[in-house]
Amino acid sequence: MRKKTFAAAALLAAATLTLSACGSGDDSNSPVAVVSEDTSQKAATVLDKPFEKPDLVLTDTKGKKYDFRKETAGRPTLIYFGYTHCPDICPLTMSNIAVAKKQLPKAEQDKLRVVFVTTDPQRDTPAELGKWLRGIDPQFVGLTGDFSTIQAGARTLGISIEPTHKDKKTGKTVSVHGTQVIAFSPKTDGGYVLYDEDAQVGDYTKDLPKIIKGENP
Amino acid sequence: MRRLAPSALVITSALALAGCGGSGDAKADLSVSSSYMPQPVSDMAAGFLTIANKGGAKDELTSVTSDTAGSVTVHETVGQSMEEVKSLDVPAHGQLVFKSGGNHLMFENLKRKPKQGEKVTVELHFAKSGPIKVEMPVKSATYNPATGH
Repeated sequence: MRKKTFAAAALLAAATLTLSACGSGDDSNSPVAVVSEDTSQKAATVLDKPFEKPDLVLTDTKGKKYDFRKETAGRPTLIYFGYTHCPDICPLTMSNIAVAKKQLPKAEQDKLRVVFVTTDPQRDTPAELGKWLRGIDPQFVGLTGDFSTIQAGARTLGISIEPTHKDKKTGKTVSVHGTQVIAFSPKTDGGYVLYDEDAQVGDYTKDLPKIIKGENP
Repeated sequence: MRRLAPSALVITSALALAGCGGSGDAKADLSVSSSYMPQPVSDMAAGFLTIANKGGAKDELTSVTSDTAGSVTVHETVGQSMEEVKSLDVPAHGQLVFKSGGNHLMFENLKRKPKQGEKVTVELHFAKSGPIKVEMPVKSATYNPATGH
């Protein structure tokens, strides 16, 4: 008997809930998406064992040979692997860095090297890369070249990328971007700080002055 | 036991019917919020929004059009790559969320480069519901809806 009463009450409760759900049609201004962000968590991961700089000899946006190790030796450097036909994460990541960089004193801005290496060298020619990067920050370096060189370089930084391919179902071109930005110290040339896709412009703004000096953010 | 169950069911259906205004079959009831486009850096842009469905039936977003772009496609982010999809479900009493790093609208062949502060008109088309026009504000290239700037 007790069981029966419970079942009936539960059904009644369900019906009441249905009723109130249908009735409250006017609260269209209530927020639909509550996004909580744990701001106490740091975006930067300082690595115990820094990465060695990848041996990347590629082509820059002017079509000239660019030796990553040589050109960035002794300079604070950020590297990211992405592609320009990427509307969301790639421009967001590069724009976050660009905005943070502009808040540094001019001399420090000139010291910093921000290097964008394409994961889609077939579509990202030097000219295409240059056009795209000029829209973000004309000081940024864009590199393109042989995919297997780029892939091998990315792999030494723990970044896994795949060649651009056609999706079997839709026939659309699919490219892959890296998920992290790596900062190299001007003191040791080691890749000692890692940022994932959640890093915001505020994180870079806060950390860049330290990275310029090779200090831990 | 045998008598109680049917009567409880009757009560349930009566209340549900009354609650929904006696409209009979359930329908999707869609509304759009939190839309924005980060200021693009090339002739390609992303767009984000939330489509809420207060109705009792699901619907599907089947296409998106905009006067600003040559084409608008719907993408899902799968791992490190994005994949175009033909349609996405807007579940009953649920929502379809487009946000950075997840689903996004991809605008290609922009006819002009929208600037921060401007608005881009976008029309959403659904399998069942009528089209919804959205005035999508253009935000900074680094805009984060969680912090609002």
